[in-house]
Amino acid sequence: MRQRYFSTFQLILLAQFAALIVVAKIALRLPLQLSGHSGLFWMAIMIVATGVVPKRGAATVVGLTSAILAAFLGLGDFGALDTFLSYLAVGVGTDLILWLLGSPEQPVIAALAGALGHFAKFLVKWALAGVVGAPMGFVALGLLKAIVSYLVFGALGGLLGALTLAALRKAGFFAYLAERK
Amino acid sequence: MSQKHRIGLGVLMLLLLVGAVLGIDALQRARSEKDSVGEVVLTAGSVPIYLDGKLVAGFQPTDLEHLAKVSFVDPAEGKTQEGWLLRDVLLLHIKRSTLKATMLISVSSSSRSKSAQVTWAEADDTANWVMFDLAGRGTLKLVSVMDKLDSRDEWVQDVDRIEVTNP
Repeated sequence: MRQRYFSTFQLILLAQFAALIVVAKIALRLPLQLSGHSGLFWMAIMIVATGVVPKRGAATVVGLTSAILAAFLGLGDFGALDTFLSYLAVGVGTDLILWLLGSPEQPVIAALAGALGHFAKFLVKWALAGVVGAPMGFVALGLLKAIVSYLVFGALGGLLGALTLAALRKAGFFAYLAERK
Repeated sequence: MSQKHRIGLGVLMLLLLVGAVLGIDALQRARSEKDSVGEVVLTAGSVPIYLDGKLVAGFQPTDLEHLAKVSFVDPAEGKTQEGWLLRDVLLLHIKRSTLKATMLISVSSSSRSKSAQVTWAEADDTANWVMFDLAGRGTLKLVSVMDKLDSRDEWVQDVDRIEVTNP
């Protein structure tokens, strides 16, 4: 019998990470008036997910699952399609960059993956705004500020994810996982 | 390829993407810069204000120097909405004596096919927090604590027109 790419256990883990992203998005309110600040926990969870299930496509599965959940829960200001595609983009973007860079356990790689993965969300939102004919940004510098904010919070989130992975490894979580597979 | 090269390639990709976004945005702005309608000059991204069907002004970024920034915490979602009161925006361009309590102010978004109506009396009452929040992608979003405008579905995102009319 052909072996499945993701085991049921791994899929359950990834679904839990997806649910965690959505719950965090709803419940965590950082008092920061900066766009993209949710990238701090979002990318941290995403990087931990790709470290715990180190297979290509893991981030996309998390992105897709969180996208479905978020769209059905009515999250986001710009409708279900915008929400679905932007959540999915985080997963796809993270997978693509990790495909190039390798393991997210290294802090530099995790930070870069976090920044690029989070920036994929910004790109989707920006492109969709163009497609639906949204008016041009009110403040010219607003776009640059938003980009910088997305990148910084994404990178910090990635770094946080790498630190969490290191802590999990130290605690013996990966040895426990190897037994469960 | 060494890890150093891979990281360099990743950074380069990031810079190219950011450059592309900023370049396209600058190109779009340059193309639509300063649209003149009669005596009113509308800069890129500004929101035209109509009074009884006649274009009287544009709410533009330079106006922000004259407006006080305000904020409130949206009770439904616990999210801070920060921006500029619709009342202050209107008073910057229309004399207070022209605005009557029953006048209807319609704020709309053509791209989202959404609009919201408030009377001048409602907009003028600061307790209602009828204001524009700057959305993540840089466009304006009309929010308020009033029943008819206090949830995400009722907000008007990507605002591109303000109309003031006599009922």
